[in-house]
Amino acid sequence: MWIYIARRLAQSIIVILGVTVLAFLTLHLAGDPTYLYVSERASEEEITDARQRLGFDRPLGEQYLRYIGGLLQGDFGTSLRARKPAIDLVLERLPATLELTFFALILSLTLAIPIGIISAMRRGTAVDGGVMLLAMLGQSIPGFWLGLMLVLFVGLQLRFLPISGHVPFLQPLLDGDINTALTNLPQTIRHLILPGITVGVFSLSRNARLVRSSMLEVLSLDYIQTARSKGLPERAVVLRHALRNALIPIVTLVGLEFGFLLSGVVIAETIFSWPGVGRLVFNAINQRDIPLVQTAVVLFSFMFVGLNLIVDLIYAQLDPRIRLN
Amino acid sequence: MARTRFLIVVVLALLAFVLPASAQTPDDTTLVIAQSVDVGALEPALVGSRAESNIFGHVFGTLYEITETGVLSPYLATGYTISEDGTEWTFTLNEGLTCHDGEALTAEDVAYTFTRAADPANAFTGNTVGFVLPSAGYVDARADSELEVTIVTDRAQSESLRLGLLSEVYIHCKDYYEATDVATVAENPIGSGTYRFVEWVRDDYVLIEKVEGFTLRDAVFNQIYWRVIPEASTRVAELIAGNVDVIANVPPDQVDAVNNSGVAMVQGVAGTRRMYVGFQFGEAFADAPGYEPIQNTDVRVALQYAVDVPTICATLLGTECTRAASMVNDPNSNPNLTPYPYDPAEAERLLDEAGYPRGDNGIRFEITMMGPRGRYLNDANVVQALAQYLTDVGVQTTVDIRDWSSDYLPLVRAKEIGPLFFLGTGGSTWSALYDMADLSAPDAGTNYTNWANEEWFSLWDQTAGLDPAAESAVKDQMLEVFYNDPPWLLLYFQPDFYGVSDRLNWQARRDEKIVMYGATLNP
Amino acid sequence: MQASGQSPTPLPVSAPRVAVLDSAAHVGSVSAWKRARTSIIKARWPLFALIILTFMLFLALFGPSIAPKDPNRNSLIERLMPPFQVNEETGRMEFLLGTDALGRDIYSRIIYGARISIFVGVAAVIVGGFVGTLAGLIAGYYGGVIDDVIMRLADIQLAFPFILLTIMVLVVLGAGVGNLIIVLAIGQWVTYARIVRGTTISQREKEYVEAARCLGASSLRIIAVQIFPNVVAPLTVIASFNVASVILTEASLSFLGLGVPPTVPTWGGILAESRDQLLGGSWWLAVFPGVAIMLTVLSLNILGDWLRDFLDPRLRDR
Repeated sequence: MWIYIARRLAQSIIVILGVTVLAFLTLHLAGDPTYLYVSERASEEEITDARQRLGFDRPLGEQYLRYIGGLLQGDFGTSLRARKPAIDLVLERLPATLELTFFALILSLTLAIPIGIISAMRRGTAVDGGVMLLAMLGQSIPGFWLGLMLVLFVGLQLRFLPISGHVPFLQPLLDGDINTALTNLPQTIRHLILPGITVGVFSLSRNARLVRSSMLEVLSLDYIQTARSKGLPERAVVLRHALRNALIPIVTLVGLEFGFLLSGVVIAETIFSWPGVGRLVFNAINQRDIPLVQTAVVLFSFMFVGLNLIVDLIYAQLDPRIRLN
Repeated sequence: MARTRFLIVVVLALLAFVLPASAQTPDDTTLVIAQSVDVGALEPALVGSRAESNIFGHVFGTLYEITETGVLSPYLATGYTISEDGTEWTFTLNEGLTCHDGEALTAEDVAYTFTRAADPANAFTGNTVGFVLPSAGYVDARADSELEVTIVTDRAQSESLRLGLLSEVYIHCKDYYEATDVATVAENPIGSGTYRFVEWVRDDYVLIEKVEGFTLRDAVFNQIYWRVIPEASTRVAELIAGNVDVIANVPPDQVDAVNNSGVAMVQGVAGTRRMYVGFQFGEAFADAPGYEPIQNTDVRVALQYAVDVPTICATLLGTECTRAASMVNDPNSNPNLTPYPYDPAEAERLLDEAGYPRGDNGIRFEITMMGPRGRYLNDANVVQALAQYLTDVGVQTTVDIRDWSSDYLPLVRAKEIGPLFFLGTGGSTWSALYDMADLSAPDAGTNYTNWANEEWFSLWDQTAGLDPAAESAVKDQMLEVFYNDPPWLLLYFQPDFYGVSDRLNWQARRDEKIVMYGATLNP
Repeated sequence: MQASGQSPTPLPVSAPRVAVLDSAAHVGSVSAWKRARTSIIKARWPLFALIILTFMLFLALFGPSIAPKDPNRNSLIERLMPPFQVNEETGRMEFLLGTDALGRDIYSRIIYGARISIFVGVAAVIVGGFVGTLAGLIAGYYGGVIDDVIMRLADIQLAFPFILLTIMVLVVLGAGVGNLIIVLAIGQWVTYARIVRGTTISQREKEYVEAARCLGASSLRIIAVQIFPNVVAPLTVIASFNVASVILTEASLSFLGLGVPPTVPTWGGILAESRDQLLGGSWWLAVFPGVAIMLTVLSLNILGDWLRDFLDPRLRDR
């Protein structure tokens, strides 16, 4: 087991390093970065001075090492537009995006599992067919279209859910202000519903189908037949014996899921004015605020790799074949 | 197990439905405004867009202030004198001014505001440093006494132009800004205006609250939220839902939805932003197809007849308009100039005469028109419509549309756009020369077309230090030159659409500024 | 939401097709086609899906000859006309599905859009599939350091939030159909690489591969002849899901302003352009391209599902 952990850890480190190389290169792919740091009316001399001061005239390898050194000391660079440490900006907005992502993830899993199970148990019936068709549909809708429809119909016509604005929950929680966090929670959830649906529908649909097919596979296995022949009621068979194994593929997906959801979040954050990291980085890319983009990318990758590492370790714990491979 | 969890979620969800929406709602003392972009930083010397200038206009005072009607009226200053040679302007400040942290606001602070903005070590970008100070010829600022501050410039200039320019500098106190680092200051401004800064949640909202006892201006509402809602449909929906009082940039095709909602109306104002298609004269484009024909004045005049601007306004911009006859906003334009009419037959005739007949395939010559997406009202569509008009008279136009902030703007700044390019520049209601300052010199930063008409520029040099009547005569002459040798395909002044809640009694301005001093509640 | 490239469902192991003799393989594939036909007719939904996809493909290929108007010709006077209106003078429906904000014919734009959207989808999958398959085959067959390097590259890319990668590449390279395909292909290759690698690893230990090696067959031959055919089945399944996902991603990118330029009609672009007209009641601008996207994507998903079930030996008896 330890060898496995060590190996995965080493791999993770390589991946994060690789991401930093990629993130670092983007700064230079966009052309001479000095222009981003000086005023529009800077003279040639000021530009050359700035270039020297910022170290952009040194060889790329040396610049990269300096960049990594900075990262290790916690210096992620300063945002050009906001003139503030990029890491502070990202961390400031991260809780809002995490709220959205977790909400979508929870929504997706809590609904997908019962739906998938019911569908599997009623395989071949109209319920199964109907639910699966809906799930297919859920995977076929362009996300932004769903978001706009929600704004127009639920937000405007029916008017019982808010379509913009944010009431913080995670940030006060992390600050230790439990009271505010709890008072805010109902409002936070209220504001989360529409964007959460927009982000989560795709993975909800996919997970429902996944649970169903995984369940069907497991239900066809021998040990299930044994349980049935022992006279156990179907419900017990499904919930107690089959579910655990059927959920294994979902566990693996949760890691990747996080990455997808993060991608979909940009669109939902734009439509619902959710003040999260997705919008922050999207604007940063458009405005060529390179330090901010680099920071966000490195941070996300770090979280993604970390999450996957944990998931893999859990998986390895559940299924010994993995670690022995 | 799964079921209990499910029930908890359902209960929480039901709870959520029962409660009213919370964040930032309008009421008797609270105003909520929604813009499409957030401020980049709350740094008064860094004005990147209207988002900043709108908020700064409330948080900071300026020497003079431009009213809705285009009049420059005193604000922090009571008056000014100009030196003999016109290079030094001395402003006299009001007595007893303070900044929001209690520090007295005197001439020293005003001078500091200017020198700090201009200091290259601060590397400020944006309107103040990039446009205002250079256009005003700023050199230095000094405090002559407690209430007298002198702005030193490098030349004489039209009085109204310079006054208006200097009034775009947001005044703040010295002690706080000198003692605090750049990063903190950018998030915690200490102002000098009617409202004080309270809170900024990035990409969400800025909250300002009324300063009690501020006598120079009246303000009605205690709190103003400036919310950020990037998606146009969401902004409009929030207005109709009653969660927002004022929104900027209502898409023309959604104006009816607002007007029919019964809770808000759209105010369409004739904006001051000049929209045009520039003809590129720069050498860099010498090899581009279409470059040569447009160097010919007759071709450029011919093309003026080819586009139907009133129809573009009516269909794509949701408003009736008259075509611009010059680059200057009314009422300061040359009244003798009439806008070029839409007359494709005339265009074709003139193009034939200029020596560009239709070939066998019907094409006279090919050209590319560059345009932005996502910056101006319906920009991408307007560009495509314009291209179609030109193509219809035989000038086969290919459209090259780029994203504004990441692609088009850098090209514009570097003057690497052409041979035709669609652009808009802000104008004014109070000075013709302000509008004409785009073309203040052949190598001016804002002369994106690289126009070099000698007559125009020699006349421009003559405008310094003239009395208003003489200045007006020279201006008229210049605009005639412009009309007959057009560096621009004259189009329209961009209308602005503001959605305003019926509970508010407020008039939108023409100059894209949102100023809430005069806003009151309807009875 | 949709980040293209990652497999939406796990794949079962498929039985190897042993390609020992050409004729044997040929015989095998004839009965396979027949079985496919029966299966698809029995399960009705995949049949509809196939019909719809064939129709879309037809539009993509022959679109320009069917489309009644130039999709880019704008005419301000005729803007925002509702669909199904009969022109009084000519007695025909001038603009079958209405016109958009610039007066362009939606019907023609959707037909041309089929071409671009499907082309982009298929091209991205082919390019990504090619690169991914190659990477997977090499990684799986040679193992060792090469395998590690390729897999780390894959991990690095997966760790990079896809939409950020897309935006960054598009902002740097500029918009355009070619760049869009490249970007979407980049998002794809990892999925193929992983699946192919898995299959390759499980195949290379088999006896017939050993046998071929003993007989002196070169690695290239072994890969091409023995291993690759077994990889085709899972590949087609993923490919069909991925074309669907690429079409959706293209729509999202258009919404963010990163897709093709506005003069190139794609379904996603037309849908994205409708956003400022939604409140104005011009429903046809969003409904028609939306339906086109959903039908195509749905059909691809249904077909992919059926393909996966069909190719899975364990489900053959059901």
